[in-house]
Amino acid sequence: MILAGGRVDELGVLTHYRPKSAVPFGGFARVIDFPLSNLLHSGIERIAILSQYRSYSLINHIGTGAAWDMIGRNRGISILPPFKDYENPHWYRGSADAVYQNIDYMQYYGPSVILILSGDHIYQMDYRKMIRYHKEHDADLTAAFIKVPLESASRFGVAEIADDFEDGGRMLSYEEKPAEPKGRWASLTVFCFRPSVLFEALKKNQENTSYEFGRDIIPMLMRQKCKVHGYKFRGYWGYTRTIDEYWQTSMDLLGPEPKIDLEAWGIRTNLAHRNIADRQPVKIGVHGSLDNSMAYNGCIIEGTVRNSILFPGVHVMAGAEINDSILFFDNIVHEGVQLNRMVSDVNTVFNRDVRVGAAECEKASRVSVIGWNNNVPEGFRIGCGCRVAPRIAAEKWPANRLEDGEELQ
Amino acid sequence: MRESADALVLLLAGGIGSRLNLLVEHRAKPAVPFGGIYRIIDFSLSNVMNSGLTRVGVLTQYKPLSLMAHIGNGSAWDFTGRTRGIKILPPRTGERDSDWYKGTADAIRQNIDFILANPSEQVVVLSGDHIYRMDFDAMLSYHQHKRADVTIGMMVVPKRDIHQFGSGIIDNENRIIDWEEKPKVPRTNLASMGIYVFDTQYLLRTLAQDRKEVDFGMDIIPRAIHEDRVYAYPFYGYWRDVGTIQSYWETNMDIIRENSGISPEEWEIRPNPEYGDRPMDRAPARFLPGSKVASSLISAGCVIEGTVINSVLSPGVRVKKGAVVTNAVVFEDGIIEERAVVDLAVLDKRVQVGAGAVVGHGENLALANKQFPKHLYTGISLVGKEARIPKGTRIGRNCIVSFGYNDDAFSGQNTLADGESA
Repeated sequence: MILAGGRVDELGVLTHYRPKSAVPFGGFARVIDFPLSNLLHSGIERIAILSQYRSYSLINHIGTGAAWDMIGRNRGISILPPFKDYENPHWYRGSADAVYQNIDYMQYYGPSVILILSGDHIYQMDYRKMIRYHKEHDADLTAAFIKVPLESASRFGVAEIADDFEDGGRMLSYEEKPAEPKGRWASLTVFCFRPSVLFEALKKNQENTSYEFGRDIIPMLMRQKCKVHGYKFRGYWGYTRTIDEYWQTSMDLLGPEPKIDLEAWGIRTNLAHRNIADRQPVKIGVHGSLDNSMAYNGCIIEGTVRNSILFPGVHVMAGAEINDSILFFDNIVHEGVQLNRMVSDVNTVFNRDVRVGAAECEKASRVSVIGWNNNVPEGFRIGCGCRVAPRIAAEKWPANRLEDGEELQ
Repeated sequence: MRESADALVLLLAGGIGSRLNLLVEHRAKPAVPFGGIYRIIDFSLSNVMNSGLTRVGVLTQYKPLSLMAHIGNGSAWDFTGRTRGIKILPPRTGERDSDWYKGTADAIRQNIDFILANPSEQVVVLSGDHIYRMDFDAMLSYHQHKRADVTIGMMVVPKRDIHQFGSGIIDNENRIIDWEEKPKVPRTNLASMGIYVFDTQYLLRTLAQDRKEVDFGMDIIPRAIHEDRVYAYPFYGYWRDVGTIQSYWETNMDIIRENSGISPEEWEIRPNPEYGDRPMDRAPARFLPGSKVASSLISAGCVIEGTVINSVLSPGVRVKKGAVVTNAVVFEDGIIEERAVVDLAVLDKRVQVGAGAVVGHGENLALANKQFPKHLYTGISLVGKEARIPKGTRIGRNCIVSFGYNDDAFSGQNTLADGESA
């Protein structure tokens, strides 16, 4: 069961029109392609996606599921939207409520294990190993954790895990986003449940007023002295909850030995989405250059690109310069444009001599982000850490600049 | 919405294309990779799709496996659906004939049952081995407007090239009044592109006349211009028959060249992303620090650490540190090891060029290949599928290294002289 319902406020303009899980990542893929590819390689063949925020982009992206080999006699992927019936008039009120509302879906297939994932993270994991651990130790719940620095632990669900085994142990304590974390093991939102325990906990939690796995279900199972284990994950884990994190995680795609190795991880995407299969190979002009960068088919590079990631169909004209930036599908960058440390959503046009960011920005939050379908006027200046909402009408653009940290809505 | 009634398309994809040498050793000419991610036949199939035509028969004959796998169920070109379809039509043993197709008209004649089973007003006959964009819907409208029995796609070529083509003399209505097949002495510069629109009933009648008429250009058309209404449909765009290594290489290079007139993406040419040793969802191409790439076409999955200039790279090619690839066409998953040099060459799939090796060594472009002087004579060297060039080896110009070549000692030599084959 993939939790793909939400938008993330901190990602701002990138989630105006799509859920977080459908945000482009990695020069050709979407965030949800990471868990879906993990599922493919783990041989898990019955998948549901719980989605309620602006689902269309996600539905379009999943298609038939063939991209992840999830179509066949005994294989399938279903998108489960919220619904109303005699008993239930609600939207999904939280992750646990979303799963609860689809209890009949799970019961229909009668699995021995239910895996609950977030669709929002960049990582590679073989779920079979975790499921094997879960079964070996006959746990009611096994949750995956990763070690993070103590100072950043309070952003996550944090557990103390006994050193019973090399790859995990009994969960000794669990707190959701504690002000003063007791441990350094942060939850990945990857849960392996014994179905009967899950169903009962979800049912019981309906009496509650909060419906989250981290805040409500795990503590409930801990109180009930259920057999709850922590599984220690030691791979790469990329955060993309804020624009700066999204940018930082994207930069992990670059370099001679990238931390995120799309090829080695076997990341698959739906090539029919935005017709990326139909794009011709990257065309590099006489004066085009790419240094420490990544570009997918359909790009035309006549200018200079450094430390950047270009999605299909980005056109960089001669005399344009792109540094440390991520440009989504079909951006057009005209002559004389300079882009630094920024993320630009699909179909945005940078007219001649536009400047975004600076090589060095002073403020901590320094990555600028520009929403989709914008037409940035000729010569316009955008500072560091700016936010431009999608589709700004021509008359709404200020005279000539956005100062550092300014927002344009 | 389509303007004209649904015509039936017959695509002739049986040609051997032997001048493409080892590129067609294991595949039919229409299945030869082109332009990084395409196959030659993608141009014809996409033209059919973009013209709104939905029923296609592909006549195969020579090494059809790669072609059949590439076409698959035809969904890449939108040929799947209740009323749509693409069928592979292999040669069959007839009641009297047990022979292979003897010519273009013979091939169509042997598939009359397919034509009858798919009722149509017109039949479009195409070849699957040309690089061009054409709107067959416009050609069909033209055909109907002229009330023609046959309409032939024709274009202007230099007079010195006319000997390779069927050539037609037209009146001022574009009606063809005289015809010469591959004339030694040119009387016109109007050449047949091998693209025909027939009225279906006319085609059935004319094929029934004389079974000894086996070729459209040689037999059927010369007779038809005297008896029937045969029109030329003029074509003015980019068109190449990539039947020789030289023209194959040049046409690939045209995609890179500015204003050459060919642009697969603008032409809406569709590859089949599902065909291949693995699906096409490879990661974006990576350009590592210190790499240099100019005037090139680089497909997804490539990793460039060295230098690539004026070259076309298919998916998954790796160019390691210090390696230099110039004026080359490299198929899927080629590996150019450190400090290796590849110049003026076509490398088939999964070729490995060892560290410090050179493919295309020296300046003597003029010494033709000794075994195939008519195939390689402009300096281009060919390396067959999965061949391994040992480190430090020097391969000259107009050389051929065969499929799967894997001899560490390179027969005791570390050189392959200009014009030699291994």
